[in-house]
Amino acid sequence: MFVLAEKGMKIIERFIPMRHTDIRELLNFKKTPLNLLVAFTTLVFLVLFVVGATNYLIHGHHAYGVTREHPWGLMIAMYIFFVVSSTGLCIMSAIGHVFEVEVLEPFAKRAIHGALVTLLSGFIVIFLEIGHPLKMMIYNTISPGLTSAIWGMGVLYSLYLIFIVIEFFFLLRHDHKWAKRFGIFGLVVGVAAHSNLGAVFGFLVARPVANGIYYPLYFILSAMVTGCYLIFLMYGFKYKLNFPPEMQKTLVATAKILGLLLAILLFFEIWRMLTAIYGGMEDRAETALHILKSSPFLVGEILLGIVIPFLVILLSNGKAIKTMVFASLGGMVGIFFMRYDLVHDTQLYPMQTLKLREYQLPPTFIEYFPSTTEIFIALGAIGIAITLYYIGDKILYLETDPD
Amino acid sequence: MKVEISRRRFLQGSVALSIIGGTSIGATSLLSDENEHGEMRIMTRTTNTKAQKVPFLCGMCVNKCAGVARVEKGVVVKLDPNPYFPKSRNMLCPRGNAGIQTLYDPDRLKYPLVRVGNRGDGKYKRVSWDEAYDAILNGTDKFKGLLQILDEEKDNRSTIGYCNGEGLSKEGFEELMGLKIGTPNYVDEISICLETVLGGYSATIGAYGEADMNNADYVIIAGANRAEAIITPDTMDMFKRSKGRGLKTIVLDPRFTNTAAKADRWYAINPGTDLAFVLALTYVVFSENLYDKEFAKKYLIGYEDYKNHVIKNSYTPQWAEKITNIPADEIYKTAREFMSSEHPIYYQGRRSVFAKNDFQLRRAQAIFQGLSGNLDKKGGIIYGKKLALPKEDVNSPMYAQAQDRFDKEGIAIFAGKTGSWIVFRNMVLEGKNPYPVRAMFMRKHNPMAGVPNTKKTEEFLKKMDLNVMIDILPSDTTMFCDVILPEASYLERTSPVASYGFLEPAIVQRRAAIKPMFESKTPEVIYKELAEKLTEPLWKNSLKYDEDVQDDTKGMKVDELAKYYKENGFDLTEPWEKSVEELNKERVVKAFGEEAWNTLEEKGVYYPNMDKYHKQLNPNEYQYYPEDKKNYTTKGDKLKVVVNFKNLAKKGVDPMPTWHDEWAFKVPDGQFRLVTGRHAQFTQSGTTNNMALRDLIPTNYIWINKREAKKRGIEFGDMLEVKSSVGKVHIKAYPTEKIAPNMIFMLHGFGGSSKEMEMAYGKGGNDASIIEDKIEPVYGAAVMHETNVEIRKV
Amino acid sequence: MANYGMALDYKNCINCKACEVACKEENGVQLGADKHRIWVGVKEIEGLWPNLSIASSTFEPSQCQQCENAPCQEVCPTKATHYTKDGVVMVDADKCILCSYCMEACPYDARYVKEDTMTVDKCTFCSDTRLLRGETTTACQATCPTKVRTFGDLDDPNSEISILLAHREHRTLKTHLGTKPKLFYLI
Repeated sequence: MFVLAEKGMKIIERFIPMRHTDIRELLNFKKTPLNLLVAFTTLVFLVLFVVGATNYLIHGHHAYGVTREHPWGLMIAMYIFFVVSSTGLCIMSAIGHVFEVEVLEPFAKRAIHGALVTLLSGFIVIFLEIGHPLKMMIYNTISPGLTSAIWGMGVLYSLYLIFIVIEFFFLLRHDHKWAKRFGIFGLVVGVAAHSNLGAVFGFLVARPVANGIYYPLYFILSAMVTGCYLIFLMYGFKYKLNFPPEMQKTLVATAKILGLLLAILLFFEIWRMLTAIYGGMEDRAETALHILKSSPFLVGEILLGIVIPFLVILLSNGKAIKTMVFASLGGMVGIFFMRYDLVHDTQLYPMQTLKLREYQLPPTFIEYFPSTTEIFIALGAIGIAITLYYIGDKILYLETDPD
Repeated sequence: MKVEISRRRFLQGSVALSIIGGTSIGATSLLSDENEHGEMRIMTRTTNTKAQKVPFLCGMCVNKCAGVARVEKGVVVKLDPNPYFPKSRNMLCPRGNAGIQTLYDPDRLKYPLVRVGNRGDGKYKRVSWDEAYDAILNGTDKFKGLLQILDEEKDNRSTIGYCNGEGLSKEGFEELMGLKIGTPNYVDEISICLETVLGGYSATIGAYGEADMNNADYVIIAGANRAEAIITPDTMDMFKRSKGRGLKTIVLDPRFTNTAAKADRWYAINPGTDLAFVLALTYVVFSENLYDKEFAKKYLIGYEDYKNHVIKNSYTPQWAEKITNIPADEIYKTAREFMSSEHPIYYQGRRSVFAKNDFQLRRAQAIFQGLSGNLDKKGGIIYGKKLALPKEDVNSPMYAQAQDRFDKEGIAIFAGKTGSWIVFRNMVLEGKNPYPVRAMFMRKHNPMAGVPNTKKTEEFLKKMDLNVMIDILPSDTTMFCDVILPEASYLERTSPVASYGFLEPAIVQRRAAIKPMFESKTPEVIYKELAEKLTEPLWKNSLKYDEDVQDDTKGMKVDELAKYYKENGFDLTEPWEKSVEELNKERVVKAFGEEAWNTLEEKGVYYPNMDKYHKQLNPNEYQYYPEDKKNYTTKGDKLKVVVNFKNLAKKGVDPMPTWHDEWAFKVPDGQFRLVTGRHAQFTQSGTTNNMALRDLIPTNYIWINKREAKKRGIEFGDMLEVKSSVGKVHIKAYPTEKIAPNMIFMLHGFGGSSKEMEMAYGKGGNDASIIEDKIEPVYGAAVMHETNVEIRKV
Repeated sequence: MANYGMALDYKNCINCKACEVACKEENGVQLGADKHRIWVGVKEIEGLWPNLSIASSTFEPSQCQQCENAPCQEVCPTKATHYTKDGVVMVDADKCILCSYCMEACPYDARYVKEDTMTVDKCTFCSDTRLLRGETTTACQATCPTKVRTFGDLDDPNSEISILLAHREHRTLKTHLGTKPKLFYLI
């Protein structure tokens, strides 16, 4: 296997510059406690993935905690988590290398790498969610449901994948002209795909708390926030917080952009809640109030996802980039809850409000908690993302210029 | 049960169901799978293939609706309503639909079984039918046979007791055990069910009658739950016109039932106080002269005595308010509305006896109906007609050694054939029986779940030398039997043709949709084969001990003796010389001709002029008889309402309905009155193993008032211990405002103790194990709602 | 070519659930509490014993509304959910990829996952069973003790359902969503 992989890499090397083509080299890294910890965690995650995925393949959706009333669960949330990350990184990358905002250019390549890695991880997750993924590829093509946001999303994300792969290819070859061209395509399609994902929820007339323009817009905004967090994390880890001066400049600029984005996001959240609650419509206002009182929303989305990073940026004028790395870690946890809540909250209010059996409590907000299998696969997908990222980082030149 | 073929292999193992392989699921019409708890689930699906359509009569409850079974490749895949039967008028209830799951119940009794372990431990051996019959006659090393018992009892046939649940083959069992084998000791569901309502109405207006709900305009439904205890055609007719659509509906029930949900007014009456309510209504009617005077004069015998009685005793609404918990104003209003309506009905109801005064309550209801004059006429309680079918007499032998039945303690009027379950059982347990009762022959009956005080029933069964059960499922009672004979379920057997009367009479026949599965046999075949096995040895036993027989047969030669044996009915097999199919044809052809028989075979239903009368009116409704051919009025001048029943006084029963203060509703502080009842999805314990019905209600719960539950920190689903003086059960809590703070309700039939009924075992609580074994004083029928209980969280 | 709909004289309903069992037997709907195509709903009763609100405990028999403008059809990525020529919303199990989007989109909780095929399933108005055999009623209609349902062709002015709807007032469920349900509740 190693031999085959190495042969493959040798072929690839003819087209794009590579740092290592020796597979064994992949397993070599500095054995610092942090590195070991990350390596160990990743390995555990990968094992969990295998266990979870196997269980899913045996038991199907029974292995998940999803129900008739709550058909979408953690898998969908994870998928969104990943593809939002991908779009976010793509947009952030584009600001630098497409729109030529020089200060942000340094991370263009790494961001696209990250976009590719998270997109692939997202695809792996969705393949484990869709009941019949192979049938999906066939019938999405020969029997397209053009009015379906999922169909649109599927097509656009497939195009997006193609464009960013090509974009990445040219970036690695330092072909800025073509990288830029495909960067524009990737960006446009990525934004389209992503807002379409928002529309998957926004189109749900039956679910007033999700229905409307909010999610398509919010998705783009929160994607950029996610992109910024991930840039902080990638570089924070790469430089172990000892940023070179050039990178410091880039990160401070990133932080400032992030500050603005977070302010807008907070503004969005406030008005979303106020418009939902105002008027007291049963299914909408009650759901919104229920969300407002839930800790994943308050602690996850708001505190970790928005307020803490925002305060760090605000109080330091964007200069506390080391703190920002930690705030970004918390931020990503917050972002996860944003995705989880998005999926869960949409389904909170029951479509069936009547009692169908004598011996039951009247239906109230739908409860859902992910099964072990779902949690394993979700963590496993993070493991896959880290692994893919690590491999890319190891074999490719991800800085603006090769050494 | 330790038999060779396990439950899991049930489907694959059955010949009838051999089309279901593990691989072909989905392609066939009978599907099985397991849920997450490993419980088997069986479902059908109809397909477009050619199917037989076999008319049947439903056997899921006593009502007997007509249906048509769709049979595809030998599998019953769907039960549809039969539009020809005027009684069930093209409908099947949830239980009727779920009959398929009873037919294909994996827990069914499949082979004859003989006990090899101790009673109740569930160890049985699979045997052939002949071995099973032989075990009944001669016993095994674990139990005595019938022959030995009768030998020891010197041919006193009364040492055998028998019981049977309701159904079309019940009569045959009574013929075998009572008329042929010759024991009088018979108990059945009547004394734990509607004995007093039948008795009270018969004693008062001459029959139970039928309420013409299609034409009534005012109905008081008290203590009946027609939305959940479905009776046709009442249920169908009632609720199409309730809710302001022509039939004003007043419901009285201590708890808010689905029937109450359809009412114009619901009164939360105290349990056991309906009589006070009716007396107060009667008081208003007499004191305000609202009754139909002409009608009363003509037909109500002794009504003036009753008028004096009611007025003199001051059964005023104010008096009743204190007893019943119904405001006096409402009683006035109801009485006045009732009497000013054109077609008012005080609905008879048909249910178990709830209170000791039930006989008097029914009398009072019937008299009250009579006071409205709305009797034997359209929109009232009607008598109708029945189509007569010829009946063959059974040549019943006389056994000199057989003794009379004894279960008469505490009973004013001995009802005859059916006796009193509680009195019979308790007297045997207390040793008050004048001769030993040593064997119980049981069929389609589960006294462990039906007769109050399960502990006593268990002791009673354990006291027997021989217990025999004929049934389709291993019920709680079955597990205390020595020989178990598997019966074919109702979809696997043709039953004796039946005649239904009242407004639109008809003849109906249940035809077998498929052949009996496994080694089960139809009841009539079982009776026949059992009779064949028993007849000679039992005859010899009579020759040995019966002095009359000895006198008669002294010096007879062999052929003379054989002739005597035949002519005097000692040949037990005689009623089963012909098969059910042959007898049905014979009887119907004799009464109505060949054409009628063909119609009956094809459509399952026959009545004269059916081809002319029967019409579809719209996609949902049919005409069975034209309006002018319906039997609204059949009694004419023979109509009689016995108001003052003087003969009753001689037996110590009030000749006119009278309230006694001891009947007041009283619950000690901290206790609750237990009431039981029905939901539409279950009949009795017999339907609780049905997986399609279990899907609708997996277990029973205890209803407890929400505020009371809150006070005690009880939440939905909490496990409670409910304890009475006779036993306790564990059951989950269902806090609801639909019940009074001092009452609890539980659905009857649950809490099965037979491990062989996998769906039913251990689910919920068995009400019979906590209801105290009290009887009402007229017939000795079991009283269901006079038990107070304590509850606590466990 | 027909345009099938159903009128429900829902005040007749006694919540016996015969329709639910009949539907399961006819159509091979798996057992399991969440596997119903059809149901009867009731609100938790209002009021305190003995002053309970009878009106608050009305029974509401229901099933897929066979919407003329079905959200489930709109959101299906593979056209597995489609309208038949008779206006019935059906799922083509071959095309269903189990993305569950339709279950999210349905305002009536009318869809569930059929476990043997692992595809989404729903009420078909018995199109693939009874109607295919030439019968004119659905299983739920035929079995109903109090005859709540009338099924028929809305485009045929002489059909029983058209006549009923012409003469009786009626309402639909969640009308404001614009789904144009074809289950009509007779008032």
